[in-house]
Amino acid sequence: MTALLVARNTFREVVRDRVLAGIVVGGLVLLGVTRLASPLAMGEGLRLTVDLGLSSISWLGLLVVLTVGTALVSKEIDRRTIFNLLSRPLPRPFYLVGKWLGLTAALAAVSLLLGAALWAILAVMGHAGYAGSIAEAVFLATLELAVVNSLAVMFSALSTPVLSALYTLGFFLAGQWCDDLRLFANQYPGSLKAMIETAANVMPNLSLFNMRTLAAAGQPTTGTHLGIATVYAALYCACVLSLAAAAFESRDFK
Amino acid sequence: MVLAWVCAIAFGLAASRLAAHAAATLPKRAPFEELAYYPSGRALRPAALGHTETMADLAWLRAVQYYGEHRQTDVRFSNMRHVFEILSALSPQFESPCVFGAFALAQEGHDFPAAEELMLHALEQRPKSGRLAFELGFLYFVKPGGRDLKKAGEYFELASRLPGSPPSAAHFAASAAQNAGDLMVSRELWMQVRANSPNRYLRDIAEKELERIQQAIATGRAELAVRRMSQPAVILK
Repeated sequence: MTALLVARNTFREVVRDRVLAGIVVGGLVLLGVTRLASPLAMGEGLRLTVDLGLSSISWLGLLVVLTVGTALVSKEIDRRTIFNLLSRPLPRPFYLVGKWLGLTAALAAVSLLLGAALWAILAVMGHAGYAGSIAEAVFLATLELAVVNSLAVMFSALSTPVLSALYTLGFFLAGQWCDDLRLFANQYPGSLKAMIETAANVMPNLSLFNMRTLAAAGQPTTGTHLGIATVYAALYCACVLSLAAAAFESRDFK
Repeated sequence: MVLAWVCAIAFGLAASRLAAHAAATLPKRAPFEELAYYPSGRALRPAALGHTETMADLAWLRAVQYYGEHRQTDVRFSNMRHVFEILSALSPQFESPCVFGAFALAQEGHDFPAAEELMLHALEQRPKSGRLAFELGFLYFVKPGGRDLKKAGEYFELASRLPGSPPSAAHFAASAAQNAGDLMVSRELWMQVRANSPNRYLRDIAEKELERIQQAIATGRAELAVRRMSQPAVILK
């Protein structure tokens, strides 16, 4: 319950942040630009709109995580407002979970808004039937952002905003290259292969949340894919937040 | 405050005039420089960070620009193969650019082997694409310098068995095999058209062609069924 209170306040704080408003406006402008660029695509305007629309949701969400998420906890430490919170009967892990939940809700709201705008553009173009695949792609993008956000909150609880942003970006990049790492591991024998594979398994497998290829063709993904991605995101977030809580518990703010 | 505005406008005007002057007087980009920054598709894939489709869309926009620029000026497409190989590597599902690139390479770039390789690679990536098989058949059908009807017939026939091919694939397969002189195969294919085509006009054509083939086989005169087809020509306007 206390975590939900923190989450609600974090959500309000993030939604009121001008960075978020700017990013949403930027996203809407980008969606408009895809329509302007469509005539240059020689008949592939629909695909261009879907691809750029879905990519902009992912990239703008990442931008929110890197600008807002990585400063979420450290900002409160700098302003010393965290003392007021933690002096109350609020367990530290709940505080972190609340922070993560609040920002994830804000990210979901942004994704939903941009996804709805993308669908509205497609509906105007006469392709309202893309709703299912767009909804699934936006859902998976939100899960991806939730995972990246959990890393940002963890680093934010342990380090400065700039370093947190760099660490989060590093994990994001490594997460996108997970499949390549596994292919790379196959080139080596025995223990080295096992080491690289372990590294690939430790990194967030972000390619699991990618169904943009299917969405570009208006095709839905399977229920199994959605289920596995949801469970994986929940498990990974739980693991990272647990690690963050363990480190945050022993942190001295003096 | 006013001075700042005046300075901003003056410097801005000067900068824009200088940019216009530079564009008018400095030498244009050499062909090599034009796409020198374009890495291979293999290198671009990991750099796309999972957004390969979006990257392919942007590469497609650049490919269209490249084609348009050279189509309107020197009609030389020395980098076209590279441009379309990148697209194919980034997004094998993106079929339209591959087909467009192959025909542009073969017909206007005068590089049929590159066009063939591009389409074969695309078909290798998507072996169940009826559209790609049909378009590859068509590429052989209009091969500059002489139609390759045998290969065209093979790929039309393959396309007719795959999803996503145009309904005319079976008809094209039968016609190509017939004009390549392969009367037995052609007869089988026309029989399939006659039996399965929902189009009455096509069924009538199949009936007539089957009569001609039957006559050619009976008399041993293949020329009764095989037409001499014209050389495919490319007219650039």
